[in-house]
Formats: sequence, C-alpha cells, structure tokens
Amino acid sequence: MPVAILILLLLICAAFRRVNVFQAFCEGAAQALPLMKTILPTLAVFSAAMALFRHSGAFDLLSSFLSPAFHALRVDPALVPLLVVRPFSGSAALAALTDIFTQYGPDSRVGLTASVLLGSSETVFYTLALYFGSVGIKKTRFAVPAALAALFTSVVTGLLFSSLFFG
Amino acid sequence: MNIVILFLLLAGIGVSLLSGTADGVLTALQGGASDAIQTVLRLSGAYLVWMGLMNVAEKAGLIRSLSRLLSPALSLLFPNAGKAKEAISLNLAANMLGMGNAATPYGLKAMRLLNESNPYAGVATDEMCTLLVINASCLELFPTTLIGLRASCGSARPAAVVLPTLLSSLAATLVAVVLCLTFTHPCRSRS
Repeated sequence: MPVAILILLLLICAAFRRVNVFQAFCEGAAQALPLMKTILPTLAVFSAAMALFRHSGAFDLLSSFLSPAFHALRVDPALVPLLVVRPFSGSAALAALTDIFTQYGPDSRVGLTASVLLGSSETVFYTLALYFGSVGIKKTRFAVPAALAALFTSVVTGLLFSSLFFG
Repeated sequence: MNIVILFLLLAGIGVSLLSGTADGVLTALQGGASDAIQTVLRLSGAYLVWMGLMNVAEKAGLIRSLSRLLSPALSLLFPNAGKAKEAISLNLAANMLGMGNAATPYGLKAMRLLNESNPYAGVATDEMCTLLVINASCLELFPTTLIGLRASCGSARPAAVVLPTLLSSLAATLVAVVLCLTFTHPCRSRS
C-alpha cells in the first residue's frame, strides 16, 4: 500500500515535469541485466557452499554448538550465515537472506529480522577495499574502527527493533 | 570471504564423510548453485522495476532534490569537500534509496576528487574517512531491493520491514556521524 502510493507519486511527479517515463524506465532497467550477471558467480558459490553445509549436517552441529550463546542473546541461529557474510559481500548476503526466506518464509519472525538486518547494515569490508583501493589509500586512520562501530550498532539495533516490531 | 567459503566447503565435505552421506555432496553443491539462478530470477523483478523507476526519479530531478536536502548536513560533515560535494550527495542519496549498486560510481568519483586535494598520498583525509564511514552505515530511507526480494519470495507484507530498518540504520548513522565528528575535530583545530 505505501509502496503503491510512493510509485504513484513518483510517476505523477515525472509526468508533471515532462519526463519521458517509458524511455527513462527502459534506460534504467537496461542496467539491471549487467548487474545480475555480476552478482551471479558470487551467489552461485555461496549458495552451493551453503547448501552443502546444511545438507551435510554441519549446520545443525554448528547451531547446536552455538545455540546456548545465541539463546542467551535471544538471536535465532538461522541468522548466523547472514551475519557472517554481510560485511564482506552484498551478493552473498542476498543469498543467505533468500535461503532464510525459502526455509522459514519472508513473513516469519526470523525472515523479518533477517530483512531488517540486511537492510540496515552495509558491506563494510567490501566498501573499504573498493573505495580506498581505488585511490591507493594505505593509512585508513579512524575509518575502520568507526565503520565497524556503525556496523555493530546496526546489528544490535536491528535485532532490538525487530523484536519490538515483530514480537 | 575466501576463509568463509573454505570453511563452509571443508566442514560440509568433512561432516558428510564422517556421517556417511558423501554421495550427497555433489547433489547438494549443484542444487545450491542452481538455487543461485533462482535467486537471480527473483531479484530480476526487483532490479528491473526499481532501477527503471529510479532512473525515472533521477530524470525527474528527484534524486537531485534529495541531495539538495542533504546539503546542510554535508557542509557540517565535509567542510573541505570542495568540488567532490556533488558526487558525495548523489552517492548518499542513492544509498538511502537502497540502490547500493547505483551509489558506487558516485562514491568512487567522490573519492577521486577528494584525493586530488590530498596533501599526503596514501593517507586518507578526514573527508575520505567520513565518506567511507557514512557509506558503511548508510541511512536507509527506503530499501528498494530488499522489498522487491521479499515480494518475489511471496511475502504478504513486503514493506513491513521499512520502519524498523529505517530506525536501525538511523541509529547506526548517528553513531557514525558522532564518531566522525569526534575524530575529525582535533585534527582540524591543529591545522
């Protein structure tokens, strides 16, 4: 409902400003295909490794090992893969999220929490490597600790708001 | 990432061998890889629609309006950004709309422009660090890709996560802003 209204407002605004909506939409959508091509290899490797990890029973072992700690923190062990890969790769995080959606459903408690965690955090290490690497920065000063503090905050508040909103 | 993948694969194969289900290893790997195609197909709807709509928004000048709204905050965070300011604001505006992939080119351009006025090659300036930290915590006004993926996985309420996501990323951004201002302040008074 709010999404529909948002899109409606956007289209009305664009029409009002004499934008060729059809052409602009097509130009934008054309960039989606190269993007899908770029993320596919990472998705494939990660999905394959995840599938093996779960089917072999290794995941059950790990989560039964970790579950006391996660129970104490009230975190669902199903969120572990997402939390582990999120700082490194956006595509791998999407694969982990889809995995949770297919296992538990997007509207389950863990599905909703995983969505919030993915939406409110960033690929910190990837961004660091890409942005500083592009201009040859070696001394990163306060960037790494501050970025990690922000990441940590988003995980804690993500879990907190999820339990507030979704019970 | 390499370590994570290696761990998953080695632990998976190891446990399979120990529990005598080694025959399932290849099936699991291939099944997982073809799930990736399924994921890409699910994402395709989100990407096609939102990247199309986002281009409409950009052509209608809405991204630029959002970046103009950000301008006062940017002057506080990036006092010496100079000509990189426009790229920074476009980068942050795209990030706020959940279009991380569209934001990256602007972010890289901003880094390049900031580096041109960098007196010490290889050492990040205040502005560069702040840009990075703000990017790493970015406020998420409307997570387009996420909502699209939820919808294509059959969610009855794809947008239910918008408010908690906004609040949580707001908290992270506040922490990032406070840290950046604290770290950059003493350097500035010295110079």
